[in-house]
Amino acid sequence: MAELLQFTITGISVGMVYALIALGFALIWKSSSVANLALGQIVLVSSWFTYSMLVQAELPLWLAFPLVIVFALFLGWVIERFALRPLIAQPILSLITVTLGIGYFIEGVITFIWPWSVDALPRLFPKEVIHIGQAVVSQEYLWVVVICLVIFVLLTLFFRYHRMGIAMRATADDQLAVQACGIPVTRVFSTSWMFACVVAAIGGILISSISGITHGLVETGLKSFSVVILGGLDSFLGAIVAGPIIGLLESLGGGYLTPFTWAGVKDIIPFVVIIIVMVIKPYGLFGEVRIERI
Amino acid sequence: MSLPCGTRNYTYGEDMAIVRTRTHWVLLFAFLIALFLAPLYFNDYWLGVGNLIGITLIAAIGLNILVGYCGQLSIGHAGFIAVGAYTAAILTNRFELPFLVGLISAGLVAGVIGIIFGLPSVRVKGFYLAITTIAAQFIIIWVINHWGITGGFLGIKVPYASIGPIVFRSESSQFYLIFVIAAICIFLAKNLARTKVGRAFIAIRDNDLAAEVMGINLLYYKLLAFFIGCFLAGIAGALLAHWIGFMNAEQFSFTESILYIGMIIIGGLGTSLGPIFGVVFIRVLQQVLTIELVPFLEKTFTALPAGFATGVTPMLFGLVIVLFLILEPRGLAHRWALFKAAYRLWPFSY
Repeated sequence: MAELLQFTITGISVGMVYALIALGFALIWKSSSVANLALGQIVLVSSWFTYSMLVQAELPLWLAFPLVIVFALFLGWVIERFALRPLIAQPILSLITVTLGIGYFIEGVITFIWPWSVDALPRLFPKEVIHIGQAVVSQEYLWVVVICLVIFVLLTLFFRYHRMGIAMRATADDQLAVQACGIPVTRVFSTSWMFACVVAAIGGILISSISGITHGLVETGLKSFSVVILGGLDSFLGAIVAGPIIGLLESLGGGYLTPFTWAGVKDIIPFVVIIIVMVIKPYGLFGEVRIERI
Repeated sequence: MSLPCGTRNYTYGEDMAIVRTRTHWVLLFAFLIALFLAPLYFNDYWLGVGNLIGITLIAAIGLNILVGYCGQLSIGHAGFIAVGAYTAAILTNRFELPFLVGLISAGLVAGVIGIIFGLPSVRVKGFYLAITTIAAQFIIIWVINHWGITGGFLGIKVPYASIGPIVFRSESSQFYLIFVIAAICIFLAKNLARTKVGRAFIAIRDNDLAAEVMGINLLYYKLLAFFIGCFLAGIAGALLAHWIGFMNAEQFSFTESILYIGMIIIGGLGTSLGPIFGVVFIRVLQQVLTIELVPFLEKTFTALPAGFATGVTPMLFGLVIVLFLILEPRGLAHRWALFKAAYRLWPFSY
C-alpha cells in the first residue's frame, strides 16, 4: 500500500512536469500551428544554463532565476525571429523539420559548452521527507506539484484576461481575421515562443533539480509529447489532465510491470501510449477534431 | 522543357524515355564506368565512405518515396533501418541462413513493421504522424536493447555477405555489391514515381482528401508507401550490418533519423536526384568534418574548448538543415535543374 502511494505521488509530480513542458508545446501550436520538436533540447539547454548560473557563476537564487527566465525569453525570441518567421505559411513538413534542425543545433551547442554531459543542480527545495500514511515522500515532489499548479493558474488567467492572451487565442482561431483586426500576428507568434521557452525552462529546472541534468532530458521533452497527444494538441486543460495520467502510468507501469517484461519498460510507456492514442482516438481527450474541406 | 535545344519528342516512347539523347547515354555510361573503376583509384578509406554513401542512399530513397512522394512524414527511419539490420544479423548469425535470404527478409520484416507503425497514418497526418514515427523509433530501439536474441547492449556480430562461393570481404567487393543494389533502387524509384502507384502517392501528398474523392484507396496506398519506404530501409540496414560486421543499437539513434530527414530535404523532396545529392552532401560533410577538419583545427588552435570535437558536428548539421529550409526549400536538386537550364540556354538565357 505504501508502495502504491509512493508510486502515485512520484507519478503525479513527474507528470505535472511533463504537463508543464507540454503546455509549452500547446502554447506554440495554438497560436501558430508549429509543432515544436526541439522542446527537449530547449529544456536541456535551460537546465544547463541554470547550472551555469548557480554552480559555475555562483550567483544567488534570487539573481539566477530571473536571469534564466531572461535567457529563456531570449531563446524563444531568437528561434522565432530567425528560424520560424521566414517559414510562415510553409508546409507542415518544413515547420516540423526546422524545429528538428534547431534541436540538433542546440544539442551541438550543449555539447560544445558543457561537454561533461551529466551533472546535478544544487537542491532547490528542503531535503526533509514527509510521511503521508505509510509512504515516505521527499518534499521536493510536493513542491514541484505546487509550482506547476501555480503556473497553470497564472497561464489560464493570462489567457483569459490579458490582452496578449486574448490575442493569442484569437490568432489560434483565425489568423486572417486577426490580421484584419490589426493585431500584429508576428508579435503574437514571438510572444508565444517566448512563453513556451519560459515554461519549458521552468519544467526543466524542476525535473533536473530532482533527477539531475542528463541527456535524458531530451527524451523527457519527447515524452511530454505523449501528454500533448493524449490531452489533445490545442487544449491546455488536456495537458493538465493528461500530464498526471502519463506520469502515473509511467511510474505505476515502471513499478509493477518490470518483473513481467524487460527492464526499463518505464521509459517507453509514454511512447506506447502515443501509438495507442493514435489508433483509438487520434485527436486526444480534449482536442478539437479538425474537419477538413477540399 | 528540360530537353536540349532542338530535340523534340515525336513518339510516346521518346516522351517517356529516362535517357533521351545519345549524349545522355554516353554520359551515363561514362559515369557508370567511372563508378565501376572507382576501386582502382580510391583507397580503402574513401571506398568505405563510398559504401556508407551507397547504403545511406538506399535508405534515403525509401524515405524519399515515403515523405517526398507520398507526404507521410516519418522521423523514425533509423528505427526501421535498425529492424532490417538486426533481422539480417539474427538470421545470418544465429540461424546461419545465407546472405540473400537475410537481405530479403530484412526488407520484408522492416516493411511489415513499417506497415504496423504506419497504421495511424490512415486517420492522422502531419505532426501526429511525425510523433507516431518518433514513438516507433524509441520502441524499436528499446526492444532491440532488451530482447535477448538481438544481443542487447552487447551487440551482435554479423558475418560477411556472401552469394554462393563469393564472399564480400574487402571494401572494394562490398562496393560493387552495395552500388549494384543502390543502382537498382534508384532505377526502380525513378520508375515508381511515373507509374500509377507513384501518381497516387503524389495525389495523396498534395491533398489526401481530394485524392480519396478521386477514387484513390488511401488505406492501401499510404500503407504501400510505408511498406516500400521501410522495405528499402530494411535492405539498407541489412547491407549496413554486413558491411560493419557488428551491430549495436547506438548506431540507430534518434539523431540519425533527423539526419535522414535532413538529407532528403537538402537534396530536394520528391525528386529522383534529391536523395543522391543530399546523401552525398551530408555524408561527405560528415567525413570531412570529423576526420579531417576537426583534428586539424584542434591541432592548430589549442585553446579550443573540450566539447568542440563532439559539438561542432551537430551544430553545423542543425544549421545546414535550418538554412536549407529557409533559403532553398526545394533543395540541391532544384539548384541542379536551374544550373542545367542556364547551361543549356547559355549565352542566351532568355
